Amino acid sequence: MILARIIAVHSYKGGTGKTLLSLNLAATFVKRGKKVCLMDLDFRAPSLSTILKIDKAECWLNDYLNGTCEIDKVLIDLSDRFHDKDKFFVGLANPTTEAIRNMSAKDRKWEMRALGRLLALRNSLLEAKGFDYLVLDTSPGLQYSSINAIVTADLVIVATTCDRSDVDGTKRMLRELYDLFEKKTEVVLNKVLHDFSSKSGRDEVQSRIKDVYQVPLLGIIPCFCDISKAEGNAIFTQERPDHSFAKILDELANKIDNSLV
Amino acid sequence: MARQEVLGKKPLSILEKIRENLERLNEKMEVMIELQKHGKKDIQMLPAEAPLDVMTLLSMPDHLRKTAMTVCRLGRATAEEVAQQTKRARAVESAYLNQLVIMGHVKKERKGRKAYFYVDRDTQG
Repeated sequence: MILARIIAVHSYKGGTGKTLLSLNLAATFVKRGKKVCLMDLDFRAPSLSTILKIDKAECWLNDYLNGTCEIDKVLIDLSDRFHDKDKFFVGLANPTTEAIRNMSAKDRKWEMRALGRLLALRNSLLEAKGFDYLVLDTSPGLQYSSINAIVTADLVIVATTCDRSDVDGTKRMLRELYDLFEKKTEVVLNKVLHDFSSKSGRDEVQSRIKDVYQVPLLGIIPCFCDISKAEGNAIFTQERPDHSFAKILDELANKIDNSLV
Repeated sequence: MARQEVLGKKPLSILEKIRENLERLNEKMEVMIELQKHGKKDIQMLPAEAPLDVMTLLSMPDHLRKTAMTVCRLGRATAEEVAQQTKRARAVESAYLNQLVIMGHVKKERKGRKAYFYVDRDTQG
């Protein structure tokens, strides 16, 4: 049995919906009564701080990976946004240009230590603080921080689209990255324009995805104009709990939850 | 009686020493067997300290990557503990771990009869 408690959300290309998926999956877990920590490991283009409207933090994840603070100083408790207590925490990447520049100039030794500190989160957060899930939002492609997150994770969710170059790149990554680390990997096909009204339409897309990627399909998310209209201003599933997107995310969370049984 | 006990302890400690030396010799032989098996192609001698970062992990042969990742995850472990995770034989893991030590990716420390392997993240760099 593989415990899917640390989940990395990754993709080959940018703009596939990793952050949207990470944030809303974390929110869905919270609504299901889980204690969740969401971390922005996209140090090249941090975005969670903007979406969650947090411009200051006592410490950033950058500081934790630098070894200058402990993880407690990084975590921000946002449980009140769910009218709850001790359920939803975030760790943010420093969005300043200087911090982004610093993070992209790190050497191999630093990255090795950063991996050690990410691996240590299993004990410090999951075991010691009782978190049910740690969701890691990553940079696209083969970035050090992303591969560190993949190595740390129990489950890698690959967000992909129907874009030809994304499909080819994702196939390569599945073969040459996730397979090498023997990671449990599942695909979420996002921004799908196919006909979903009929069962045959859904089945066709599902079988095609399984043929192309040769890994389990966690879910299919249609292209929702409502999400684009929201302009990344809020946690969509919380703002619109009755929206089809929220229902799909609940199905994804349910599948992941059940893999723990 | 007391004299007999003292006399009895000496051969025992000699035997312990012989066993330790045999174990070390065995480890060296395991490394040599592995070197023969893989024709030395996988095992490049690196400087005493070579960071075990993810790109290094990616470039490793599959059999060593599995062992290295397990040490990364466990932090500090014996060959037996690594073998429990990888579901491979202890002797096999011992050989792979010693290869990683030779390559400079992993450090080894003896405590009594047990050999512990770990990634030295503090002193590297």
